[in-house]
Amino acid sequence: MQMDRMKGLAMSALVGIAVLGAGATAARELMIVGFGGPFQDNARKHLFKGFETATGKKVNDDVYNGEMAKIYAMVKAKDVTWDVIMVEAPELARGCEDGIFEKMDWSVVKKSKFIANGTSTCGAGAVLWGVTLFYDSTKIKDGPDTYAKLWDLKAYPGKRSFRSTPKTTLEIALLADGVAPADVYKVLSTPEGVKRAFAKLDQIKPQIVWWKSGTQPVQLVGSGEVAYAVGFTGRIVRANADAGGNKYPLLWKTLLWSVDSWAVVKGSPNAAEGMKMIEWITDAKPLTAMAADYAVSPANAEAAANPMLREKNPGMLSPHAAQGLFIDTDFWVANGADLETKFNAWVAQ
Amino acid sequence: MSRVNLLAAALIGPLLLLVVASFVVPLLVTLYTAVGDPEIRESLPGTAAAVRAWDGEGLPPEEAYAAIAAELAAAQEGQAIGALSRRLNFEQPGLRALVLKTARGKESLAAPYKDALIALDARWGSPELWQLIRRGAGGLTPLYLLRSLDLTLTPAGDVARAPKDEAIFVSLFYRTFEISIWVTVLCVLLGYPVAWTLSTLPQRWANLAMALVLIPFWTSILVRTTAWFILLQREGPVNAFLQATRIADAPLTMIFTRFAVYVAMVHVLLPFVILPLYSVMKGIDPVYMRAAASLGAPEWKRFLRVYLPLTMPGVAAGAVMVFMLSVGFYVTPALVGGANDQMVSYFIAFFTNDTINWGMAAALAALLLMMTGILVVAARVILPGFRPGGLKL
Repeated sequence: MQMDRMKGLAMSALVGIAVLGAGATAARELMIVGFGGPFQDNARKHLFKGFETATGKKVNDDVYNGEMAKIYAMVKAKDVTWDVIMVEAPELARGCEDGIFEKMDWSVVKKSKFIANGTSTCGAGAVLWGVTLFYDSTKIKDGPDTYAKLWDLKAYPGKRSFRSTPKTTLEIALLADGVAPADVYKVLSTPEGVKRAFAKLDQIKPQIVWWKSGTQPVQLVGSGEVAYAVGFTGRIVRANADAGGNKYPLLWKTLLWSVDSWAVVKGSPNAAEGMKMIEWITDAKPLTAMAADYAVSPANAEAAANPMLREKNPGMLSPHAAQGLFIDTDFWVANGADLETKFNAWVAQ
Repeated sequence: MSRVNLLAAALIGPLLLLVVASFVVPLLVTLYTAVGDPEIRESLPGTAAAVRAWDGEGLPPEEAYAAIAAELAAAQEGQAIGALSRRLNFEQPGLRALVLKTARGKESLAAPYKDALIALDARWGSPELWQLIRRGAGGLTPLYLLRSLDLTLTPAGDVARAPKDEAIFVSLFYRTFEISIWVTVLCVLLGYPVAWTLSTLPQRWANLAMALVLIPFWTSILVRTTAWFILLQREGPVNAFLQATRIADAPLTMIFTRFAVYVAMVHVLLPFVILPLYSVMKGIDPVYMRAAASLGAPEWKRFLRVYLPLTMPGVAAGAVMVFMLSVGFYVTPALVGGANDQMVSYFIAFFTNDTINWGMAAALAALLLMMTGILVVAARVILPGFRPGGLKL
């Protein structure tokens, strides 16, 4: 009885110490957060671990799905646990306005190495990303290669899948309705233009399946749940590599693209280290190594122009960017909230 | 107080503090966020003071114009202008552009600011805009609660119906409660026989059967919901079975429909009915049923008059728990439901994460809490068996 009691006490003491020890953190390691998926796996290999090896500073990485609320809450509570984060352009602009990102330290990060449109007050360009239309070419021999054709339910029967957000979906509706790419945002800035976009979407609404996470469109097309989907090009290229061959053709005429940037969260204890990390991971050398391994389109001008990469990387966006539509950041920062409300109301009806 | 009472209080004290700190305080903060209006007061303190001193008739004095010109520019420098412009734009679309334009144009403005601002943009000369600012300077606003009920404030400050292309919340609340009530009814109807079987099986089989209920219960909800996606998809096993047995000619669309939401939610919530019912049924002395039989009651009468009333507390407990949980469900409808099957919690998450409109998220949450509370209290009063005395047939 005595021995059991002693054992019990010793166990609880050990557990208590272990819990306390786990809770106590001295200097926190650098934490970089991205959108996950195969991009992040490759970034970890070439960029984060590369930085670790080059400078000896340990880096941890985490995944998020674009939820800005967490960052707002962190900054407000002055308890910042994420240091460097990858953000989409409108969230970067809005976050910069709201003071949740540090202004970029251009004395540490060299501004000149980025492509045009690649930098902003609080962000340094990481990669270009885009969405295109795609379908399973082993099941469908002759699919639509423009958005106008996608609306033809008779010629191309089956369900369609779009991202569950007005950003990209409304532009696609206007492109399908015959608006020239240069005029899309002009039209969308007017109430009649917005009505026109929703009316166009109403034409195929019963056939639309909405996706929220980047893995879904490839899953939906692969499982046969939908016939045509608009999805991230990086995921499409990856799916092609996994399946072997050109199962999901990349239809560059249907490209909509933008830039994702690295930003430093305001109030982070590792802000200076974060800036140095951003300078390292946006350099041509590690990006070229990464792009040779995985289809990314770096925002570094030298890496983007590299002919070897362009050849090796059929999914690279830089050669096709001119064909596609650049998603207007300022438009979405100004009108995002309004259009999101209208979109949610429309979808729920 | 006796020593025993003091000791009891001391033991309960820390737990009570924990409950208050982690449950009551966040709840109160959420309720306050639903009606709070801090943006104008915090970003434009001088303007707020000036408009509160103004009587509300016509246009405010020069001090208000001077204050707002200076403070908007300062807010842009201090990176506080985003929250302010989103708050104003939420009440009246178009104000974000006005606020940003005024903040950027500060250098070109000079005293007298009233004329300068009106020259910059005619809207600064509209009394309604200033009344809007005056309302916002008050610190509390009904706007978020009104919008959550498909009402809105006109520029003059009266309550009006929200435009049709933005009015989704009332039907959303209906949908949420409709789905929750159906899920509760289905869970009780399906769970009752299972619990009864569990309570009457011999010990060894009962243990195995209980494991079959508990192990899925302990599996992550995300895994279970995703499993339903795989089962119900076009080329999934259910469709394959239906086609193989010629029950269906073509693959049925089951995923991303209301049907899938019901199936997945009932599957996830069944253990919450089975377990309380099981524990109540286990506690029913079989002597009652034998007594009823000996008094000449047929099988069905024994069940209705003796067994069912005795199990009502378990049914009530399970039903209330399932209802509460399903009202707040987010993951399951989001993964297996279509766009028309989303419940209120999806929009609470949307306002929290995507548009950073915590006022709306808190207002929806507060209304959901209130409506659920009213429904449960009403159930206790109206439905038999939910009263402490049990069912009296």
